[in-house]
Amino acid sequence: MGQNYLASLSHFIPELLACLTMFGLILIEATYKEEQKGRGFLFLAAGLGLASVTVFSFFALGKEPVAIFTNSLIIDSFSSSMKMIMVLGTLGAVYLTSQSSDIEGNLKPEFIIMATGVLVGGMLLSSANNMLVLFIGIETLSILSYVLASLKKGDERSSEAGLKYSLYGGISSGIMLFGMSHIYGVVGTINFTEIAIVLKSVDQTQIAILLPAFLFFFVGIGYKIACVPFHMWAPDVYEGSPLPVTTFFSIVPKVAGLAALIRVSQTFFATPGALNIGWVGVLSIVAALTMTVGNVSAIGQRSVKRMLAYSSISHAGMMLMGVLVISELGTRSVIFYSVAYLFMTLVAFYVVSFVSDKYGNDHFERFTGLVFRYPLMAIAMCIVMFSLAGIPPFSGFVAKFHIFTALLVKKYYVLAVIAGLNSVVSLYYYLKIVRLMMLKDAESTESISGFSIMNQSAVLALTIPVVILGIFWEKLIIMADGAKVFLQ
Amino acid sequence: MISLSSYLFISFTLFVAGIAVMIARKNIIAMMLGIELILNSAALNFAAYTRFINNNLEGHLMSLFIIVIAAAEAAVGLAIVIRFFQIKETIHIDDAAQLQS
Repeated sequence: MGQNYLASLSHFIPELLACLTMFGLILIEATYKEEQKGRGFLFLAAGLGLASVTVFSFFALGKEPVAIFTNSLIIDSFSSSMKMIMVLGTLGAVYLTSQSSDIEGNLKPEFIIMATGVLVGGMLLSSANNMLVLFIGIETLSILSYVLASLKKGDERSSEAGLKYSLYGGISSGIMLFGMSHIYGVVGTINFTEIAIVLKSVDQTQIAILLPAFLFFFVGIGYKIACVPFHMWAPDVYEGSPLPVTTFFSIVPKVAGLAALIRVSQTFFATPGALNIGWVGVLSIVAALTMTVGNVSAIGQRSVKRMLAYSSISHAGMMLMGVLVISELGTRSVIFYSVAYLFMTLVAFYVVSFVSDKYGNDHFERFTGLVFRYPLMAIAMCIVMFSLAGIPPFSGFVAKFHIFTALLVKKYYVLAVIAGLNSVVSLYYYLKIVRLMMLKDAESTESISGFSIMNQSAVLALTIPVVILGIFWEKLIIMADGAKVFLQ
Repeated sequence: MISLSSYLFISFTLFVAGIAVMIARKNIIAMMLGIELILNSAALNFAAYTRFINNNLEGHLMSLFIIVIAAAEAAVGLAIVIRFFQIKETIHIDDAAQLQS
């Protein structure tokens, strides 16, 4: 038994490293004397720690899936690739924190420490094979997120965002647990692989209990992804939180929730039957609603940050469609979509953050004539907006294309049509900002201090994958191909 | 003899009461109590199912973890409420309406 655990630890290195990074950062934060120097050292340590996590999850790609810690966690290529996306998202948010002035200087270390904690929760969530681990992962993710949302001390909106987040989060995790308890009552185990075996031979009365129980179970995960009936918290929290936190929220918890949802769907509902039909039906309705509500609400927004919040909701709906097809093609397309989404979101939020640091708000008008002052930044932002809207030849188009393929293979024509219409709607608000940046004259010629040479090159470096993945996407698909979900 | 169904009935009542509190009460502390009710109903369910149907310890394990995590969540939640109170001097949920535009 003890040896078993030691052997498990060797597959658990990325998580352990993330935990170590967090503890190390707490120690550094507690001990340094000179503010400026110590903080620089802390950023460096965070970057190095997270980079090593990325490296170790990269080496776990393409290996045979293993079940560790008495079958409660599964480490496979799928979970490793999702972990990599999350770590890269955290790294991006950490860099933005070091540059942004939206978070006060003495709060930046706290943000990084807690973001690493959220990352650990997300990593647990992406390889959970047990309801307990899933629950602990979701709670690690949520409880630290509540603190992150209310990070700005003394700011009315920030504390309100944290309050709303914690209330919605508490109720949804409670509902999820209630559903879990009934699933446990019916099937008699909390291990996913064993549940999947029992689910193959359930009778009518058991299904009558299981269907609502799984619906309750979905509430908890759906809340993390911010899909439509449970999305009310998202725009408020995204707007109220400081910008680096918003960047972080729109990537890490979303990807973690999607990873958990994919694993649950693939393990439980791969075999056709009443449960499969119910689950896919619920997911289809939720996906269609998520896309539509996200897009329609994004149209009327004045704040670019809030617009991006709604657009991230609609992208979650898009990715949900890759989940609900329950096929390898779907999983692969979700991985690709998450990678593309990661880079697009980072670039968009970087530019918005530097502009809003200068003017104190991020309304659309602040972007007028950006091309005449910072042509490179305006072009990067345009590329990202086109890519988010799904216009070729950028990665957003390829990502959407793969989701459509997965849908059409399974003959979900109605969903495909709804998704296509939504892409057209989303063009309106993405192109609105492009028009303002490119065609209007500049309001002022003041320079924006956030666009230093270093930050500009960071934005450009992040834009390169958006273009590259749109043209040479086969390479990444081959990589994602190795990431098959562990199926019994 | 208390049977499984009585436990399930009680936990269901707790669950509904928790949801009702969340919807009806405007006091943030009361809403957090509602969350505790919901979490406890799930914990009770797990314990009852382990006692009466499934002969493994997984359910007990879940109940213990639910209790621990509920405490952590309440601690963080109350800290946020205190911060909100310091700024707004009220704990009425209707006063948390800055972010609707």
